[in-house]
This record gives sequence, structure tokens and C-alpha cells, in this order.
Amino acid sequence: MHGLVAGFRLELRLVRANPDALIPLVTAPLFAIIFLAIFRQSGRPDLESDALMAPVLMSLWWIALLQAGTMITGDRWQAVLEPMIAAPTTLASVLLGRVASLMCVGLVSFFEVWAAGWLFFGVSIPFEHPGALALTLLATAFAMAGAAVAFAALFVMTRNAYTFINSASFPFYVLGGVLVPVAFLPGWLQPVSSVIFLSWSADLLRASLKEPDVDDFWIRLAVVIVLGVISFAIGRVLLHHILRRMRANGELATA
Amino acid sequence: MEAVAVDEITRVFEPRRRSGTRVVALDEVSLTVPTGEIHGLLGPNGAGKTTLVKILSTVLLPTSGKARVLGHDVVADTEAVRPLIGIVFGGERGLYWRLTGRQNLEYWGALYKLSAREAKARAQQLLERVGMVDKADERVEEYSRGMKQRLHLARGLMGDGKVLFLDEPTTGMDPLAAREFRSLIGELRDEGRTILLATHDMVEAEMVCDRVTLIDRGKVIATESPRTLGRVLSRFQRIDVEGVPSAVLDEIRAMHGVTSVTAIDGVGTRIEVDEEGATQLVLERLVGAGATSVRTSLPSLEEVYVQLIGERGMEI
Repeated sequence: MHGLVAGFRLELRLVRANPDALIPLVTAPLFAIIFLAIFRQSGRPDLESDALMAPVLMSLWWIALLQAGTMITGDRWQAVLEPMIAAPTTLASVLLGRVASLMCVGLVSFFEVWAAGWLFFGVSIPFEHPGALALTLLATAFAMAGAAVAFAALFVMTRNAYTFINSASFPFYVLGGVLVPVAFLPGWLQPVSSVIFLSWSADLLRASLKEPDVDDFWIRLAVVIVLGVISFAIGRVLLHHILRRMRANGELATA
Repeated sequence: MEAVAVDEITRVFEPRRRSGTRVVALDEVSLTVPTGEIHGLLGPNGAGKTTLVKILSTVLLPTSGKARVLGHDVVADTEAVRPLIGIVFGGERGLYWRLTGRQNLEYWGALYKLSAREAKARAQQLLERVGMVDKADERVEEYSRGMKQRLHLARGLMGDGKVLFLDEPTTGMDPLAAREFRSLIGELRDEGRTILLATHDMVEAEMVCDRVTLIDRGKVIATESPRTLGRVLSRFQRIDVEGVPSAVLDEIRAMHGVTSVTAIDGVGTRIEVDEEGATQLVLERLVGAGATSVRTSLPSLEEVYVQLIGERGMEI
């Protein structure tokens, strides 16, 4: 618990000191405006809620991938990783706390996109299932955090993490059905999408905004959470092995 | 119980590329540090000091051998070791530079499982102790090298460790700050802590350490008190004398065991010997010649260092 809280507070302080981390909060409303404009022009007002949810998911994903995913790499470069490893608190708990902090920051985009939609296009979508929406958002943030831990572990060992990050976002937006539902993808891609929690989150968010009933809500929510837990577990195992390897090879610090 | 027990630790760094060189950073190093001792690890760059400190602080795994800190194995029992130690690696990095000094310390306190209130209080106490209160709420990126070094020391003390590993802790400090630091080291020892101080500063090792291990190219050369190490080479004594006729000096120069007779800036003459017993013969001759201002001295730790390790200069 100490690590979680320590990481949470640390990241909030770092974000305040380095506002670059807030870039998604700038781009989210802009994406919302772009998508709304496209759908309005196409005569599809029924897709306005999709236009607003997509930037929220994109923001959370970008934060998980770039900000959280490069945490360990950044700490290593700043030479704080070694003394951190030598401390009694586990790196995994600190990492999770830091990522949770970022996810909280990322969820601010939810309010931003709705404000942008209302301001620029007069969008006013009644929340059909506010409880389901809130729970789905929280579960999504949790799953993102789990994925972020896995990314953080993975990116430590790659030379070109930033190249991967820059190129990996959009394929996941497609496979995750962030803007265009997975049902519209080719059939052979849909099994791939089914193991990406984004697709489940996106479908559930759309359903909680539009549909009169959200079918199998708890099962679908559980899938998001379980996939997040699996991501976190994979990340935890990866982190353990990678840190041990780094300790064995003397790679906790850069030259 | 010994605070630190190192038993034939070896650490080999394999090359990452075929063209690289295999480096034996530590070669069956053994040493023990009793509780409450300030123990120096003295050696040139690349000697293996930092490697040993990293193994003992659990951030680096040894290739072979065993090491224990307060009875706990540093590899098999890292969870027991980590709450007991504090480390000061020093340098320009090692802190979150966009945060203030105080924020850095409070974070580190949390890593050592202090509550927010405890971390705040200890951070304030340590900032006062290292003389950083006035700068505590400025960002680390605005600190000078010496300030960062002081903050590193404060950070290393946040966990209140019983064993402290200090790796070149006074690098970048001005002489006054370095002197204050050495005084602080003494205070820490008086509080019952054990300190392993890795340094290439001979003066610092001589002034602060109870015992010193000379290490070079991964091997322990000697472990003794600074004074005893000087006596190891007691045959290399020097005799400083004034007012001796040059004929007598010529006679002494030809004596067995005398290595050099050199003038000291017009004040007197320094006679160096390299054999046991030669000192006495020289002294008898000087007294017989009527010399009244005669002083003998043991070599300094620096001279021992240079004698044992050799004049490597910039070569690593």
C-alpha cells in the first residue's frame, strides 16, 4: 500500500512539474471536434456519442502507452531506478500507483470532450445508464493501468520503445474498436480484437450511452476487468524477470 | 555479528558484443566490517569499489560468492536487507530534478514505508542536518553539484538504515562542505551505524575511516587501519633534518638502505630509506654530526596507495 500511495503522489507531483503529460487533455477535445464534424457532415447524429467516447479511450491509451510505458526507462535514465530497487517497497506497487494517478488525470478527458461537444456542436446526449457508464470507465482505466505495467516492463528492454509507441497506437485504436465498432472489421480480425480489452470497453461505453438495455453488462464488465488483471499479471511477471536480469547484468543504471 | 561479511565475491561482466572485453570487476573479494565501524574502500577508478557497493546494496547480483549484511544474504534475502541499509550513490543524476529537494526526500521516505507525517518530519530534520533547508523548496534542476550531493546524502539517510553505503559521497563538494560531511560521518557512527565508504580520496579515507581496504583491479590488496597501512611500509620511512654539512649527507647517501637524499626548498634535507634498520643507522650518523633538528615520519596513506598500486596515472 505504501508503494501505491507513494507512486500516486509522486506522479501527481511530476505531472504538475512537467505538464507535457497533459497533452492528451489538449488533444482529446480536438479529436472530439474532428469526429463530431465528420459524423455531422455524414448525417449520422446517432454516432455522436461514439465521436465523444473515442477520444477518451485514445487519451487513456496514449497515457498508458507513452507516459506510463516509459516510466521505468525514464527512471533508469535519471538514475533513480537503482536506489529505488534498493528500497524496501516493490517497484511494481510504485509503478501501479503512478499509473493509477495518470489514469485519474486521463479521465478528466471524459468531461472535456462532453464540454467540447456541447460548446461547438450543441451535443446533448442523455446518459441512458450513468451507473454502467461510470463503472465501465473505471474498469477501463483499471485495465489500462494493467496494460501500462506490462508496457513499462517490456519497453525497458527495447531499444526503440518510442518507435513502437508512435506506431502502435493506431492499430490498437482499430483493433480496439475505439471509433469504428469491431463488428465492422473483417471477420478474421475479430478474434484478435476479442483479447484486447479496448474492444470490450468501447462496445460497453457505446451501449451504456445509447441502448435501452445493456445486454450482459456484468459479464462484459468482468471481461474488461479480467483482461486488465491478466495484463497486470503479465506485466508483474515480466517486471520480475526483467529486473532480475538487469540486476544480473548490471543494467539498472545507464552509463 | 558483523555488519558486512563478504566471502569470495566475484563479479564478471560479459561483453555484449563479440568484440567486447570480458571484465572481472571483482575477483574473490573477501572482507568483513564489524558493527559500528567506518570502513573505507580505497582504490582508483575501475578498481571495483562501486561494483562491491552495488552488490551489497542488492542492486547487482554477484557472479559467485556470498555476502551478508547484518546476517542477511544479499541475494537470497534481499527483502530483509533493504530496510536495513541506506545508499548514497551521488552524482549529477539520481534525483527527480523537476521536483524540489523536499519532495524528493518525502517520496523516498514513503519508499521506506514512512507515513506522510513521518516522512515530512524526517525530511525537514535531514535537510537541516545537511544544511539544505534554504534550498529545500527549489527544484533539484537548479541545484549546484554540491547541493545535489548533500541531498543524495539526506536521501540515503531517509530510511534510517543501520548500514550505510556511501559511494564517492563528497564528489563535487567544496572543502568546507566536505569537512562538515566528514564530521557528519563521525556523528552517524556515534549513532551506532556502520558505514562503508567507497572513495579514491586518500585524505578523506585517512581522516574518517577506522580501517581501509585497498582494492585494485577487483582484488583486495590490504585491509588495515590507515596508520597500520603506513607502518606496513615503515621501511619506507623518511627523515627530515636541518643544518647538516654536505659531507655528512654524501656519506649518508652512500649508506646501504638509503634511497634518496634531497633538499627541501632550502629549508633542510629529506632522507628516504627502504630497509628496516637503515633509519637507525642514519639517525646515529646525524646525531653524531651534531644535527639537532631531526624528524622522522611514516608514509601517508597516499604514499602507501601509490607504492602498492603504482603510478597508473590516467590509465584504467
